[in-house]
Amino acid sequence: MEDKFYLTKQGLEKIKQEYKDLLLLKQEKIHTETPVVFHSEELDTEFVAFKEEVELLESRIADLEYILNNVEIIQEPSIESRDSVQLGAKVVVEVNGEDDEFILVGTLEANPIEGKISNESPVGKALFGKKIGSIIQLNSPVKTNYKIKKISY
Amino acid sequence: MDKTLEFLINVGELKDRKRRGWLANKVPNCETTASHIFRVALMAWILGKKKKLNIDKVVKMALIHDICEVFTTDETPYDPLLPANFDSLTDQQKAEEVLRKWPKLSLAQKKKRADLKHQREEKSLFKLLAKTDLSFKNEVINLWQDFEKGHTKEGRFAKQVDKAENFLQGMEYWQKHGKIQKDLWLRWAKEIFDDPIIIDFVKTIEKDIVAKKKN
Repeated sequence: MEDKFYLTKQGLEKIKQEYKDLLLLKQEKIHTETPVVFHSEELDTEFVAFKEEVELLESRIADLEYILNNVEIIQEPSIESRDSVQLGAKVVVEVNGEDDEFILVGTLEANPIEGKISNESPVGKALFGKKIGSIIQLNSPVKTNYKIKKISY
Repeated sequence: MDKTLEFLINVGELKDRKRRGWLANKVPNCETTASHIFRVALMAWILGKKKKLNIDKVVKMALIHDICEVFTTDETPYDPLLPANFDSLTDQQKAEEVLRKWPKLSLAQKKKRADLKHQREEKSLFKLLAKTDLSFKNEVINLWQDFEKGHTKEGRFAKQVDKAENFLQGMEYWQKHGKIQKDLWLRWAKEIFDDPIIIDFVKTIEKDIVAKKKN
C-alpha cells in the first residue's frame, strides 16, 4: 500500500470537495430513493440495484478517505530552497531548443495532459533539486537535454 | 431493441473506428479503438500481476476506458490544432506540420483542454449507458471515474497501461513504417510514466524495438 500521498493545496481541496459531494450524494440517495421492500421470495431487482449503487458510492468514499488519511500537503519551500525544483514547483524548461512548462507533483496528482509531471517519472526525478541554469540529460535510445530556465511557486 | 443488445451494437462500432492519432500520422491500415482496448486489457492483466492489485478491476477499467468514444472523438493531445479529418492533401499537410514538432501548450491551455475533453467524454459515456442495466451502468461509471481521476492504485495503474500500449503501438508503427516522430515519443515516455513496472516495460520496448532498429 502507498503510505503517503503528496498533494498541492489545490489538489487537496479538489479531493476534499469531491469527498463532500459524494457524502451528500449518498445521503440524498438514501433519503429520497430507498425503494420500499416487500417481503417476497423473489429478488427485488430495484432494491438490489439501489444497494449496489450505494455500495459503489461507499467504495469511492472509502478510496478518498484513504487518501485524506494519508495525505501530506506539499508546502512552499523555504526561502533558501526556492531557487531549486521541489514538489509544487512550476518549471519552465528548454528542451531541444523549445520552451515547455511543467508543474512537479506527487503521483496522485500527476496528469501530464495538464502539464503535471510526477516526481517519480524519470524527468521528475531528474529535475528534482536542480536550480536555474542546470542542464539535465536523459538517456534512452535518444539523448534529451532539459535546461531549467525558470522556477516559481 | 433489447437494451443490452443496443449497447453492444453501439460499442461494436469501435471495432471499425480508426484512431485519429495514427490517421494524422498517415499510418497505413492503422489500428482501431477496439484493437487498442484489446491490448490494453491484456497488458493490464499481465503487467498488473506483478503488483498487488485487484486485477478484475484493472482489466474491467481497461475494457471500458475508451468506450465513451462511441459518441465523441478519439482526441489526440494536439487536437485543437489538428484538422477535423485528414482526407484532403491540405489537411494532411497541416497535420504533418503540427506533428513534426508537437507544439507546446501553456499550463492554462493544457488544463482547459483536459477539462473540456473530460466533460465531452463523460457526457458521451452517460449517453452510451443511458439505457443499460442500472447495476452495470453504475459499475462502469464508477470504474471510468476512477480511471480518469486515479483515486485508487488500480485506476492509476490502468491509466499508465493505456499510455504504455499507445507507446508500444507507436514504436511498432515507427519500426514498420517509420512515419512516427520516434524521438518525441521517447522523450514523452520519460515525462509521463511513473509506475516502476511500466518504466521497466518501456525500457524493454526501447531495448528490443527501438535500439535494434537503430542498430
